[in-house]
Amino acid sequence: MVEKYAVLPCNGLDKCAGVISREIALRLCGEAGHEIICPVFSRIAEVKYRKIISEHPLFVIDGCPTRCASKLAVEKNFKISNKITVTEEAKKSGIELNDTLQLREKEQALIGIILNDLMNTGNKVTQTIEETGVSCHFDYETFQKGKFLFRVPVNKEIFFNENDCWAYVSGNRARIGVTDFVQQNLSDILFFTPPEMGAEIDQFGEAGEIESSKSVFELITPVSGKVIAVNEALIQKPELINENPYELGWIADLELTAFENDKELLIGFDKYFEIMKRKVNDLNG
Amino acid sequence: MAEFKVGVISCSGEECLGGTISRLATRKVLDELKMVEPVTLCLPLYLAGGKEERNFARVYPVITVDGCHKCCAKRSTEKYSGKVSGSVDVSEIIGEENALDRKTVRNKDLTAEHTRMIDRVAGEIVKMIGNISPDAYSGKTFHGCGCNGE
Amino acid sequence: MISMDSKVKVIPCSGIGKVYGLMAREAALKTVHELCPEKSEPVCLAWIVTGDQEVKDKIEGRDCITVDGCPKMCASKNVSDAGGIVVEEIKVLDTVKEHKGEKFGSASQLDGCGEIVVSEIASKIADRINQEK
Repeated sequence: MVEKYAVLPCNGLDKCAGVISREIALRLCGEAGHEIICPVFSRIAEVKYRKIISEHPLFVIDGCPTRCASKLAVEKNFKISNKITVTEEAKKSGIELNDTLQLREKEQALIGIILNDLMNTGNKVTQTIEETGVSCHFDYETFQKGKFLFRVPVNKEIFFNENDCWAYVSGNRARIGVTDFVQQNLSDILFFTPPEMGAEIDQFGEAGEIESSKSVFELITPVSGKVIAVNEALIQKPELINENPYELGWIADLELTAFENDKELLIGFDKYFEIMKRKVNDLNG
Repeated sequence: MAEFKVGVISCSGEECLGGTISRLATRKVLDELKMVEPVTLCLPLYLAGGKEERNFARVYPVITVDGCHKCCAKRSTEKYSGKVSGSVDVSEIIGEENALDRKTVRNKDLTAEHTRMIDRVAGEIVKMIGNISPDAYSGKTFHGCGCNGE
Repeated sequence: MISMDSKVKVIPCSGIGKVYGLMAREAALKTVHELCPEKSEPVCLAWIVTGDQEVKDKIEGRDCITVDGCPKMCASKNVSDAGGIVVEEIKVLDTVKEHKGEKFGSASQLDGCGEIVVSEIASKIADRINQEK
C-alpha cells in the first residue's frame, strides 16, 4: 500500500458490509497510520478534510454495490485513487456475510484477508485502478472563444476522430471519451447512456450516448474493441463530462482488437486542434 | 482585426428590487441587441472563481450592472480582472428607495412600472456598450497550459 | 410570529446565463413569497460572497437552503464557506432530469414546462423548511 492514504469508508449501519467497511477503515488508521475521513461530517462540512485530501491519495471503501462512499467522493469532487467494495471482496474470497450487524468469525476472517491484501501485496491495490492501463492526467493546449475555453490534451498516445471523440491508448487497451468541443456545445449534460459491458464495437461504431436539454450526442468510438469498463460515476453525475471530459468524464475502456488498422484513420493532436478551432469559429461566427 | 466582444456582469441580488431590475435589464440587452454581441458573465460563478468568466473579463471590455449602492459586480470585477469599461448603478436610475425595496418579484408578477424601469436601465446599458471603442480590447489571446495563471 | 433570526435562509444562485439559474431564482422566490413566507427569507448571494458583514451575521450558524442551477454549486459552496449551515442543497438539474425531453424556456423567460419544474422545486424547498420547524 502507498505510504499514507486518506480513507473514506461508507460506514453503513444497516448492513454487515457497512460495519466491515468501518472496521477496515478504523484498523487501517489505527494500525497503519492512514487518515480517516468521516463520511457523515464530510457530507455537511468537508472543509475540515480538504487539506488531508489534497495531501494524500483517497482510498474509498464501499460496503455494497450502492457505493455510497464512492458517490459521496464524486459529489464532493474528491479524486478517488483506489477503492474496494466489501461485498465483492467477500464474493472473491468465498465468504458469505451474515444478516446481523455483528462481526463474527467469518466477517473477521474477511477483514483479515482484505487488510492483509492491502498491507502486504504492495501494488495490488493500486492496480485496481491501473488494471485498465490508463492514467488520468494530461497536459493541455487551449483555445479561447469568447468566454469559453476549449482544451485538447497534448499526448502522443491520444488519438482523435473527426466526430470529436478521443481515445487514449495504453498497451492493448484504450480509454475513450468526448472532447471539450462536444461538452461545451451540449452545455449541461443531464443523461448518460453507457455502452454495454462486454460489447464488441467496431471503429466508428456507437459507444454510448450523452444528452443535454439542447440535444443528444452519440459517441463514435475512434477505435475497435471490447468494452471492459464504463465510467459508472457518470450515471449519477453526467455533469462530470462538462467538468473535464478527458479525466473525470471519461466514457469507457476498451480492449483493443484492431488498433494497428484503426490508427490509419485517426488523427493526432496537431491536426485535431486545428479542426476544432475551425469548427468553433464556424459555429460562433 | 481580432474579434470584439463586450462582457456584461450583472448583479442578480434577491433581497431587493434593484437586483431583479438589474438582471432583467441585462437579459433584455442580451436578447435584443444586434450590433455588438454582448456576452453575459455569471456573477455567482465569477465570484466563486470561475476561470472562464474571469479570463474573459481580463481580455475584453466589461460593463457591470449593479442593483444597489454596494456595487458587488463592479467591485468584484475590479478586484479580479481589472478596471471596468463602464458601470451602471440601477439605484441611480430608478431611485434608491425603489432599488432597495425588499419586495423582489418573479417574472410573472412584473408590473408596467417594473417594465418601464427595466427599459430605462436597459437603455443605459446599451448606451454604455455603444461608447466602448474596439480599442478597449486588449488583444490578448490564450494559448498554453490549462491553468491560465489564476 | 417567527423572528427574522429563526427564519430559514433561502439562497438561490440566480445565475444569469442559463435557464436553470432563472429556475433557481423563481423557485426560491416562490418559496419565500408564496409557500413559506413566515418561515423563510431570501438572502443575496453576491453580498455573501463579497463579505458583507451584515449578511454574514445573518447566515453564520443559521440554517440555510441553497438552490443551485448548475453543477458548479456556487450558492452551496459559498454559503458553507461563509459559515452558513446548509441543511439542504437543492439542485435544479435533479428535477430537470425528471422531465426528460421537455423544453423549459430561456434564461430570460420560462415557458409552461419551466413553470412546472419551478413549482416542483419550490415544493421540495418548502417541504424541507417545514421539517425544520
